[in-house]
Amino acid sequence: MKTLLDIKELTVSGEKTIVHPVSLQVRTREPCTILGETGCGKSLLAQAVMGVLPSELRAQGRIFLGERDLLGLIPKQRRAIWGRELAILPQEPWLALDPTMRVLPQVKEGYMVAGAVSGASAGRLAQATLSGLGLTDAAGKLPSELSGGMAQRVAFAAASVGGAGILLADEPTKGLDAQRWQDIVDLLLQKVADGIGLLTITHDIGVARRLGGHVAIMCEGRIVEQGPAARVLQNPVHPYSKRLLAADPASWEKLGGRASNGVSPVIKAHSLGITRGGKQLFKHQNFSIAPGEIVGVTGPSGCGKSTFGDLLLGLLQPDTGTVWRDGSHPPLRYQKLYQDPPAAFPRSITIGQAVEDLIRLHALQPGIRDTLMDELRLQPELLDRLPEQISGGELQRFALLRVLLLDPIFLFADEPTSRLDLITQQEMMNLLVRCARERQCAILLVSHHADLIGKVADRLLFLGEEAISRDAAFSACHQTSPREHPVYGA
Amino acid sequence: MKKQGTGNSKAVSVYRTRMIGSGLLFFLIAFGMVGPFLVSGDPGRQNLSAILSTPGKEYLLGTDHLGRDMLLRLTAAIRVSVAIALITTATASLIGVSLGILAATRGGLAERCTSLLADTFLALPGLLLVLLLVAIAPGSFWPLYLGIAMILWVEQFRMTRALVQPLATSPAVQATRLLGFGPWYVFRRHFWPELQANVLTLSAFGAATAILSVAALGFISVGIRPPTPELGQMMIELLPYYQEAPLIFLQPILILFLLVLSLNLIAGGKIR
Repeated sequence: MKTLLDIKELTVSGEKTIVHPVSLQVRTREPCTILGETGCGKSLLAQAVMGVLPSELRAQGRIFLGERDLLGLIPKQRRAIWGRELAILPQEPWLALDPTMRVLPQVKEGYMVAGAVSGASAGRLAQATLSGLGLTDAAGKLPSELSGGMAQRVAFAAASVGGAGILLADEPTKGLDAQRWQDIVDLLLQKVADGIGLLTITHDIGVARRLGGHVAIMCEGRIVEQGPAARVLQNPVHPYSKRLLAADPASWEKLGGRASNGVSPVIKAHSLGITRGGKQLFKHQNFSIAPGEIVGVTGPSGCGKSTFGDLLLGLLQPDTGTVWRDGSHPPLRYQKLYQDPPAAFPRSITIGQAVEDLIRLHALQPGIRDTLMDELRLQPELLDRLPEQISGGELQRFALLRVLLLDPIFLFADEPTSRLDLITQQEMMNLLVRCARERQCAILLVSHHADLIGKVADRLLFLGEEAISRDAAFSACHQTSPREHPVYGA
Repeated sequence: MKKQGTGNSKAVSVYRTRMIGSGLLFFLIAFGMVGPFLVSGDPGRQNLSAILSTPGKEYLLGTDHLGRDMLLRLTAAIRVSVAIALITTATASLIGVSLGILAATRGGLAERCTSLLADTFLALPGLLLVLLLVAIAPGSFWPLYLGIAMILWVEQFRMTRALVQPLATSPAVQATRLLGFGPWYVFRRHFWPELQANVLTLSAFGAATAILSVAALGFISVGIRPPTPELGQMMIELLPYYQEAPLIFLQPILILFLLVLSLNLIAGGKIR
């Protein structure tokens, strides 16, 4: 194994040190993965390697690319390295592609600039690269016409044109559904097999697990533990690594999976169908949920998971079919939790004010708020802050508090933890499950995370093309009674 | 850190521009209010033995071609201009913001109708509209008021519609409605905080437009009728005497300039 990139005692500092001395090696045939949560400094590390740190930050130490120390080079020399020796696969590639340029010219341009070949042969090379990635049809399209997975492969093609020996992948799986997740990880592994050095930055333990090789766990600007993936991910030593790995949904205890108790449902849907943006999302969809039950909704992105929940809440009208609610409960007891916590609060007033308004509107006992805040472990001083001034996890717990004030019997949780860190995610999910069980609140949980939803849900509902077969398989292994189980039409 | 620094100094300079504008406007309005207490008398009273007299002891700012006290006339004219500007922009903001919210939240037919209405007004040259209305009822106040308000509401409408549209479908508003809050609460907590600054900016620009329109109409003798003193009308009356009494002639021009400047400083501080 040859060392391709050797990072020695690298620090990043602004007014104070943000990344403490870090040493890492990227070798051939050994992918290197930095695993850490938001704000741990892993992206700054990548930026320091690339040489694109914000101007107020400074990198110190040594980064050897072969014989050269990258930090000793002037910006012009570093730019010459980009694409040719060191390539980056950007986060959310659909934002990194030129929206006004068709795919083929975009890749061809890379060959001409980074690979320094003539126009005609660049065109041929680009064509070959695209067809190698199964993108022959996409060559003439604009980035906006591509699906997320295709855009990712195009970015991949564009990143590899210069024949760089080292690829830096910054959160390559962010915001992807299971299928695309698989595709991109496979592509990365392919690169490694081709002898390219891979440095991946991710918060997703699954990615680190699949890539294998060398794993470094980062926390608050320090690498707390590093070593072979098999060792670090199986038997972590550092307390933080232990906590982080235990928070991976794949290693959670099973929270859901209770058989339905035959209580009459709080909400039922019969033969729902809806078309959005000219696409039939689903049709003949039946559904029912009983108090205290947690039903997970999964499916590929764009299959209408959120739309389904909104239909049940009456926020959208179905094209066909009906939604029935238990009429003995007021509509206020049917509530929703949102994906992006800051987007669900009024921006300009404090959280305390928002909660106060709600208590006053419904003439609730002010004491309930304090009881709930204790229960959700929220500090009273957070009430004086604006939504943007507290963490996503705290804000999502406030969103839950706001909903619980109304004593819900049905809660539609739309990807409630997808913007949260692993450890926070676990806490939030535990709270949700407790709330379902203790308060007999039915929860419809949407998540693209297969492991998570498998652990939390009592029952799964698959939307999309594979719905029938996969749903049948799940119900078989969970012995859900056929009467309670949704039935799917073609 | 550098970025933050420039951001702060920019905010400070915006704030300073606004303060200068507000100070100037306050001073002008105060002048308009205090004038009648400084000198008592009727701005229409003529003294033909002292026409076009230069500023002095007896007449602080001099007299016009009919021997009327310029101080009294200018302060009265400021009151008229500011009052018209105030009620027209208030009316325009109320209509513009209400229709904008209606269009943004209801969509569909409501949006098409209001947008069509706004586009129609936008297609007509503003002053022509006022002239048309004034022609229907010459000399009275309401066509002037109505005409100017009708020019001004369109911008408020378009701004409100554009800002509220994304808010209206946002999770925040959806959550608020699900929690049982009514439309008034949504307006107060979600829409208004986002609109506020822009409504005030557009109102300041609108007030400047209103003051200029009133003066322009006065200048072509179709606006406020004599004997009520008005800046544009004073300018046209004094125009023949600009050589004999330039100091008198310049007074209404200066006041108009300062009024419009102060409002633009208030508004422009925000835009940049």
